[in-house]
Amino acid sequence: MSNDIMIVCEHKDKEFLPITKELFHCANLLAKHYKSKITLLMPTFVPLEIACPEYDLMVVDSPYLAEYTCEGWEQAALLGVEEVKPDIIIIAHSSTGYDYAPRLAAKLDGSCISSVSAIEIRDDKVFYRRSGLYGKLDLLYDAVKRPLVITVLPGAFPAYEPLGGEGICRNISADIKLKQTSKVEYSLLDIIDTELDYASVVVAAGRGIGKEENLDLIKDLASCFNRSAVAGSRIVCDKGWLPYSSQIGITGKKVSPPLYIACGISGSAQHIAGMKEAKMVVSINWDSEAAIHRYSDISVVEDLVKFIPEFIRKCEKT
Amino acid sequence: MRILVCIKQVPNQDAKYAINADNNGIIYDDNTAYWINMYDEHAIEAALQIKESIANSSIDILSIGPKRVESAIRRSLEMGADYGYRLVYEGEVTLSPSIKSQMIAEFCEGREYDLIITGVMSEDMMSGQVGPMLAARLDIPSATAVMQFIINTENNSIWLERELDGGLRGSLELKLPVLITVQSGINRPRYPSFSNVMRAKKSEIIEVATSTHLHNLQYERLVDIPEPEVGRQGIKLTGSLSEKAQALWELLHGKSLI
Repeated sequence: MSNDIMIVCEHKDKEFLPITKELFHCANLLAKHYKSKITLLMPTFVPLEIACPEYDLMVVDSPYLAEYTCEGWEQAALLGVEEVKPDIIIIAHSSTGYDYAPRLAAKLDGSCISSVSAIEIRDDKVFYRRSGLYGKLDLLYDAVKRPLVITVLPGAFPAYEPLGGEGICRNISADIKLKQTSKVEYSLLDIIDTELDYASVVVAAGRGIGKEENLDLIKDLASCFNRSAVAGSRIVCDKGWLPYSSQIGITGKKVSPPLYIACGISGSAQHIAGMKEAKMVVSINWDSEAAIHRYSDISVVEDLVKFIPEFIRKCEKT
Repeated sequence: MRILVCIKQVPNQDAKYAINADNNGIIYDDNTAYWINMYDEHAIEAALQIKESIANSSIDILSIGPKRVESAIRRSLEMGADYGYRLVYEGEVTLSPSIKSQMIAEFCEGREYDLIITGVMSEDMMSGQVGPMLAARLDIPSATAVMQFIINTENNSIWLERELDGGLRGSLELKLPVLITVQSGINRPRYPSFSNVMRAKKSEIIEVATSTHLHNLQYERLVDIPEPEVGRQGIKLTGSLSEKAQALWELLHGKSLI
């Protein structure tokens, strides 16, 4: 086994996306252990003239790679695999990554580990950590079958800024065909610049609030603070209790207020990625094993329906 | 339109569990309540809505597992699906998505589904792999995290919108047959109607054997269940409800946050 690594890079205007730089860090850890080589695969629509001394670059260009399609990126990644013959393929656990990465693993009949949050080395062997069982437990995996495809959870690794300078860059003009895909369009939901971006205190509601009427409690709690805003986990937005513009998480908004109060939120990795930069986190959740408590400065293990009115009474008294 | 919906039965979020002696398996209490993976309920609802709008559609429900998963399949029939299949797997070890997708691909052979629907991921393991892997094994296109779709029977295609990161949406058209994985915002799953409940009582759930060579394949292997990483070393408030409320107020006030 060569243990060679290939990273499929997401980039925009010749700049690597932040998540791609996090993949570099993850790959560096593996390459250091295995003393193996790292190749960056960049699907693009025109040949690129970029170089990076630390990594080999392989630019796969085709007019059909101008925007992400599952069909196009799968072909580009398979082409990269054919050229590079990697044992480990690293992909972001983004809405593009989780769309095609499992397909790639199936086509290669390899192992696949999703939303990896850490690389662990025990007795000179490499293991991959991810969160499971509703975020309550961590699971450690060994990749028995190669090649291995991993998708890396955004925010799990620090970003690594590669050095500039001379390096090896191969351009491959690929014969990518989109036989099944057409009419590809992207649009932005109207979620820019909401009060959430400027709030000092974000009070967020999760599935644990139980019913829509209990949102009033969350709003009352928010009104105890200056410059506060109400937000929700994806379930709460899916149910239509709050608009998608107030959704916190990878697919919604990332916030970093001085204070974040999580009410009835279990703390899935997707949600944590959206609020872990908050300066202070308070969680109110009766389930003492809920993952959110591990990301909190202050944990309140209580039924929020009883606790929040009690807390509001304390605020009113003083 | 022939539709297959793949569902998973998951233990409820508050289920009591233990970790086995080898530290590589989760054992649930005998009293554990199981239900249909939330995202798969949305997949069932999506299929039912197609059936209501496109004539001559039928919905097959499939789940892999021991006898207990039949309650999840039965519930899908009560919601209005037509046929239920259980791919028999009695083993204790959680199957790799690679193996599950091959079992389902085997089942699909010769059945000519136009559309396969499943949830974007399972609530308990959150891998999100079985759907796209199955599509790759069947060599059909797939789309994940679908928020809405429209089937065009005239040109045999599906237009769909995916949820992307940071509030983006992406739409595209794919040629059928297609596999989609649906996000929970796509619809509101219905409650079973009385007539469907009565009908489902009489329906037989068909057991399908799975190839034993698949059971023994090795892909990624769960080797340990370590302590979860702690993001912040926080404090847990103690005392009565009133004392906790007072303590929280004081802590926040002390930091000038309130």
